[in-house]
Amino acid sequence: MKAIDIIRDEHRALAAVLRAMEFTVAGVRAGRFAPDFRLFAMLVDYIVRVPEESHHPKEDEVLFPLVRAACPEVEPILDELEAQHQAGEAHIQELGMALIHWQAVGDPGFERFAEVVGRYLSFEWAHIELEESRLLPLLEARLAPAARAAVDAAFAANADPWRGRDGEFDTLFSAIVAATPAPMGLGGPAGRG
Amino acid sequence: MPDMLLEVEGLIAGHGDAVVLEDVSFTLARGQAMALLGRNGMGKTTLLATLMGLTRVHGGAMRFAGRDLSAMPTHRRALAGLGWVPQEREIFPSLTVEENLTAVAVGGRWTLDRVWTMFPRLKERRANMGGQLSGGEQQMLAIARALMLDPVLLLLDEPMEGLAPLIVQELFRIIRRMTETGDLAVILVEQHAHQILPLTDRALVLERGRAVYSGDSRTLIDDPQRLDGWLGVTGGGPRGGTTAARVARGEA
Repeated sequence: MKAIDIIRDEHRALAAVLRAMEFTVAGVRAGRFAPDFRLFAMLVDYIVRVPEESHHPKEDEVLFPLVRAACPEVEPILDELEAQHQAGEAHIQELGMALIHWQAVGDPGFERFAEVVGRYLSFEWAHIELEESRLLPLLEARLAPAARAAVDAAFAANADPWRGRDGEFDTLFSAIVAATPAPMGLGGPAGRG
Repeated sequence: MPDMLLEVEGLIAGHGDAVVLEDVSFTLARGQAMALLGRNGMGKTTLLATLMGLTRVHGGAMRFAGRDLSAMPTHRRALAGLGWVPQEREIFPSLTVEENLTAVAVGGRWTLDRVWTMFPRLKERRANMGGQLSGGEQQMLAIARALMLDPVLLLLDEPMEGLAPLIVQELFRIIRRMTETGDLAVILVEQHAHQILPLTDRALVLERGRAVYSGDSRTLIDDPQRLDGWLGVTGGGPRGGTTAARVARGEA
């Protein structure tokens, strides 16, 4: 199923950005990097705009209803995933506010931001894990050919959502890669890149 | 009938008297991308080296753009349009990024401007020495330098090896953009089969030097059990691959 490839592709890109966030926060805490607020703003922007505006709505509106109809026994998993999608909005709002607070008050704001990032990452890792290990295997096994075709068509219609309508997400991703300190990204330490 | 760029038939090759590849056959049309898959030590790098003329051919035939490849010396293969990015990258550490590129330029379709567009990071680093670049930047430079030789077929040997997930994703995006140009065929060796198959048209799976699958990538994507049997991929994700979360966190 092409939809599975697309979902996993999207997860890999998001996971790479999450890992970059984890790495950069750890580097600031350890004193290896100076805070690069432009990079943190891009990381938060990517998390806000790409999965929340494109990936999750597509799952909620197309994928989950079809799976719910075809596999009633997975209702609890779908309920949990939908609840996680809804909770994601609050997490992201908190993330944005913590970043603004850190930028406004300086060093004393870092620990709060780091704590919010830690909570968000745990939440998102668990979400990706649940979806890939429990939901996706059911798609091929349980969906009827017509339902599979409907899911594939819905995802193919938005073939590469990570690029954005005019390539803006691609540009954002490349900017994150360029600014994230090596060896995780291509940037220099202390915001040099 | 597609315009065949590369035709390999019954290839037997190896290092000296030691035969590594046995009876390998496949074809690749112009502009197509092929995933070259197999566990470690199954002959993937040897196959690429054989295409570049760096091994001993014991039998079989290789035709590239209608010409007999076996009789062509290595340097001629590069000029004929075969580009190779080896695992070792082999960039010039004491030349700048720009000098690394212009030193090999042949004045073809890949100009400096086109390379800068594909690799904006290299443009930023154009005045830096090759030896000052990070691993990811060096890999980009190695690919860019191969493009400056104006290849019609680019051989990429595990370009993501040892790189962080963020850079891996960026390189996958670049490779996808390269293959979408339609004027460049690619053979890509990569351990992450589930990630490269959707980017490629065709796949070749090697097992102990023999081709156990040569066909379209989609068939393999849709038959994960067979693929995992050959590649030994394990983990909790669908299609036998491990989950994106575990890969990104270095747990896979």
